Amino acid sequence: MTAPASAMTPASPGAGRGPGPAPGPGRGTGALDGDRLFLMLVGLTVLAGLAIFIAWPMIVVFLKSVAVGSGYGFDNYTKVFSAPKFWTIVGHSLTVSATVTVITVVLAFIYAYALTRSAMPMKWLFRGIALLPVFAPSLVQALGLVFLFGRNGIINRTFGLDIKIYGFWGVVTADVLYCFPQAVLLLVTALSVADARPYEAATVLGAGPVRKFFDVTLPGVKFGLLAAAFLVFTIAITDFGNPMVIGGDYTVLANEIYNQVSGQMNFQLGSVVAIVLLLPALFAFQIERIANRRQFALVGDRSVPLVPRRAPLFDGAMLAAATLIAIPILAVVGIVIYASFVKTWPYNMTFTLNNYTQNTAQNGLQSLWNSVVVSLMAAGIGVVLAAAAAWVVAKDKGPVGRVVNALGLLPAAIPGMVLGLAYVFAFNAAGGVMALLYDTLLMLAICNVFHYFSQGLLTASTSLRQISKSFDEASSCLGGSAFDTLRHVTVPLVLPTLISVGVFFFMRSMVTLSAIIFLISPGTGLAAATVMLLDDAGSTTHAAAFSTLIMAVVLAALAILKLVERLFARPGRPGA
Amino acid sequence: MVSPIKSLATLGVAILVTTGLARAGEITVYTAYEEDEIKAYVQGFNKANPDVKVNVLRLSTGDLAARIVAEAENPKHDVIWGFAVTNMVDPRILNSLEAYKPKDADKLDAKFRDAQDRWVATTGYMAAFCVNTEVLKAKNLPMPTSWQDLLKPVYKGEVVMPNPASSGTGYLQIVALLQGLGEEKGWKYLKDLDANINQYIKSGSKPCRSARAGEFAIGLSYEFVAIKSIAEGFPIKMVIPSEGAGYELEANGLVKTAKNKADAKKFLDWSVSTQAVELYSAYKGIVTIPGGKVSEEAQKAGLPANVAPILFKMDFEASARNRDAILTRWKKDIER
Repeated sequence: MTAPASAMTPASPGAGRGPGPAPGPGRGTGALDGDRLFLMLVGLTVLAGLAIFIAWPMIVVFLKSVAVGSGYGFDNYTKVFSAPKFWTIVGHSLTVSATVTVITVVLAFIYAYALTRSAMPMKWLFRGIALLPVFAPSLVQALGLVFLFGRNGIINRTFGLDIKIYGFWGVVTADVLYCFPQAVLLLVTALSVADARPYEAATVLGAGPVRKFFDVTLPGVKFGLLAAAFLVFTIAITDFGNPMVIGGDYTVLANEIYNQVSGQMNFQLGSVVAIVLLLPALFAFQIERIANRRQFALVGDRSVPLVPRRAPLFDGAMLAAATLIAIPILAVVGIVIYASFVKTWPYNMTFTLNNYTQNTAQNGLQSLWNSVVVSLMAAGIGVVLAAAAAWVVAKDKGPVGRVVNALGLLPAAIPGMVLGLAYVFAFNAAGGVMALLYDTLLMLAICNVFHYFSQGLLTASTSLRQISKSFDEASSCLGGSAFDTLRHVTVPLVLPTLISVGVFFFMRSMVTLSAIIFLISPGTGLAAATVMLLDDAGSTTHAAAFSTLIMAVVLAALAILKLVERLFARPGRPGA
Repeated sequence: MVSPIKSLATLGVAILVTTGLARAGEITVYTAYEEDEIKAYVQGFNKANPDVKVNVLRLSTGDLAARIVAEAENPKHDVIWGFAVTNMVDPRILNSLEAYKPKDADKLDAKFRDAQDRWVATTGYMAAFCVNTEVLKAKNLPMPTSWQDLLKPVYKGEVVMPNPASSGTGYLQIVALLQGLGEEKGWKYLKDLDANINQYIKSGSKPCRSARAGEFAIGLSYEFVAIKSIAEGFPIKMVIPSEGAGYELEANGLVKTAKNKADAKKFLDWSVSTQAVELYSAYKGIVTIPGGKVSEEAQKAGLPANVAPILFKMDFEASARNRDAILTRWKKDIER
């Protein structure tokens, strides 16, 4: 497989040397030095960002967790570990997260497979539906589930059933819905770039579809699968919103942070739980090594793009599977949109527009506009930073690359509330640039970027890993610098992925609240906070209406993006 | 000519500066009041003080408490407004306040004021049951009127209450029972009640919302959300338990580090004024200053004009101090 590459290593004399004095053994040409310098520059810039906005706040959290009286020690840890029911709660967290991981990764894989490897119709629609939970405010999901599956929900009432949604299965269902789009994003990226040649070879060798799936497809997406599993597990274990609204008596570790911090103003004990929750992330740092065994780049200089052929039976089956998965997602969101147009769900179902026209929130529309600005900034900063980080991780096998990878994957393991409070502790009293930044929309955007950085980094990494090194080598043989390769080869190949990463940052920023609730100021209210205000003030239908507005804005933004993409799409590029 | 980059930079700095700093004529207020009442009160204040701009940040009590403590090194706010006394008396928040006695604060009973004038409580809310009449009818259940009624086996699985470990309202409810019935009887009651509780919901207003959505027959919550639900047309009846109800006071205080103390004081003065009292009574079950009229919504919901006799006697200092111990015992003995 790697034959073309090994023929062009710098060790082979005469290959790809520019004019000038004879270089030393192996390396040392001008181009290489420039490359290394460029890589170093990007690497250190990304590293600085991660150090300031992830490492430093988390160090502050760690220091809180070991603060005892006026000194330091592990007393807080022993206190938390010996609290009543602590280990039961740990058990709950692990069970929920493991269950969510298995269900989500399987469903997301089927869905992504249907989107990329079948020729089923209406793929654009299914892509859109999969993203719904990412930009639906969390209130929508919680309400939707209760309206559908609650004791007085449509399903129990219609069929006279007694489904019990509150508790373990409620949390699992809500978490699967929330994690599903993020896993799909990763797996679509992993599956969409493929080389047709191994499949042809396998066919020639007489392999059936099952054999091909296990011997060609699965090894090719191993990194994507592991990354998705890690992401889903950490997101599920750090989520406290779903257990709060639908968990009933089922308590998980992340609730414990909320109870300590918001319930009892006890930052020390809350920090201990936050540090414990970082442990699963350690596993993530091993993903790279596990995935590298038998992993091969899917697209090389000789590859032939895999275009799914029509196969009515297979396409039909895939369409059916995707539809089955899409229906509950649509139903949960759809029922809340429906409820936003009635007077008093479920007692007075007369149609009304009052929930939209009589908006009781002050500055409601201003907050919506603020959210759009924050989300656009987050998308811009997020794409550049995530792509740069992924590139550094792929190119720099030294300490810089490893640290960037580790810090970049950490945020998935940090509950939003912890990140938000950590930002307050780390930056509120800081001087200089931070003092100017604090209390601005830009600060909120930065917080969102780092809150969701792992998802961006993993998706960009998945995409980059599928591009063979032979491009780099070919490019540098032709005298191109690393920068040229990046610009002319890598970026065009991963552009579709980068766009979806940007869209992801945009969507999450429109609705996330857990971190930025500690950073918004009176002048920088956000739409998601308005939803919360309306809901807290007792008006669920108004909150549902405002949520619907947010979703409409996101859809409008997506439509504009598609249009721009069409206008700028150069003919002949795949994936446009 | 001004270069576009330069003008952009200037604009950027201008935005950073204007959003970052409070200026004369502006105050920043942190509150746990609800959105619609905030709007009404601020309008009222501005009628009397048109030259002061009030910037309000509203968060739930728990989140706001966490935020105030986290920002302690560099507080952004001038005033804490409408904030639970149980949280206000936490030393970390109490010590951030400066003694200031608003004009005419003398008309408030001493029990509604801090001995050192660091806070003044003007309003409050009390525990109330939200009972869904449709569910009662469908399941053929009687209307409960007291805490004792809730122990009846017919309500098994139909009662929800907030989890006191995550919700201030939940803590208020159990601490009120413990203080109202006495330690021993209180814990026994909670244990007995547990048999009928379907779940301990992790937020304070949620039990009432779940009841109004028909998920459960009875949600233990507080009066504001019950009154609101009735006004919105839900089949809810508000029941103030006959033995008495726990309550929480909402207090105001001046922050030591306030950047605009003159205007902050104007705001605090206004908050105990007759005008303010009139506005409070449109939203509040408990107004500590006499002179207001119970709102029509509250009257319809059945809130008595004088709530004093139906309130448990509460010791906020003690409930703040014993929080850790009470919650640990609750988690050990009752939490599932």
